[in-house]
Amino acid sequence: MSTVTPPQDLPPPGGFGKVQYEKVPHKVVFNGNRLSVAIIASYVVGSVAYYFSCQRMKKIYLEKRSGRIAVQPFLLAERDRQVLKQMRKNRDAEENLMKDVPGWEVGTLYGTPVYNTVGENEWIGYDYDSYYAHTSPADRLEYQDAFLYL
Amino acid sequence: MVVTKQFQLPTEEELTVPELNVTAAAYATGAFHLGKYCEEPCKEFMLCRDELNDPRKCLAEGKQVTACGIEFFKKVKKSCLAEFTQYQKCLISSSADYQYAPCRKTQNVFDECVKAHLGVERPRPYYYCEPKIHDSKRPKPPPATYPKYDDATPGLPAEKLKDAKTTYEGQGIFDGGRPY
Repeated sequence: MSTVTPPQDLPPPGGFGKVQYEKVPHKVVFNGNRLSVAIIASYVVGSVAYYFSCQRMKKIYLEKRSGRIAVQPFLLAERDRQVLKQMRKNRDAEENLMKDVPGWEVGTLYGTPVYNTVGENEWIGYDYDSYYAHTSPADRLEYQDAFLYL
Repeated sequence: MVVTKQFQLPTEEELTVPELNVTAAAYATGAFHLGKYCEEPCKEFMLCRDELNDPRKCLAEGKQVTACGIEFFKKVKKSCLAEFTQYQKCLISSSADYQYAPCRKTQNVFDECVKAHLGVERPRPYYYCEPKIHDSKRPKPPPATYPKYDDATPGLPAEKLKDAKTTYEGQGIFDGGRPY
């Protein structure tokens, strides 16, 4: 009966390496002072850059607004004429609509005016609801939230 | 509000004039020269509109404004159509809201053309934001009269009102100038 000794686990020649059990601290690049300086510098640089950006944007918006103001009279003149036309149309439509109702006076509720202290011929404006009073809801909705591109 | 029969309205014929059938882009393109070309009618109309606060009383001035605008665009179309179209195309495609800053090259071309043919020089960029003084021939309207009540709330003394500052005074350095 032969006795075979199995290979035994042994350390490599020269022995095992040293076991690292001590804490290895990271190399400190940003200490407290440097970090403070970096943050403050970032704020300063950002503020200056933001200031110049604001000045730039201000110029752009001012020029744009200047152009809008220049064309304002043309839009307003056209708009005034259109509103006055529509006012007449609406009044005629109301007259035609209520012609069979006895005692109805146009622009009043059976003779009771909307305002007591406003004169008959005094301009008090014409609002959105009045302008679109006799139009279809679809037309009204189309312009309800219309964005003015100019 | 609803309109009564006593409310005087101009007839359809009085209100029907040839209108400026141009798009917003065309308005933005020609804005500076248009405003300069029609400066006097525009000032007159806006003063009338502001003083009287009644569109019915400023119809004649408004018609003059529109007629002047049509005249300007006709002249531009006759002499500077290519330059105008080029500048307009740049304005449309450069930004969403017709900013003037990205289109200086085409703008200079258009400016030179308008100056040569119409004799209108482009005003400085913030010209229309500045307050204007206008001497109108129309008589000044009487000041508004308000009823006086005995038990009205006493207002601020006069010296307080003099010291009061408006909200718009002193813009911050970080104010980007956005209108809204």
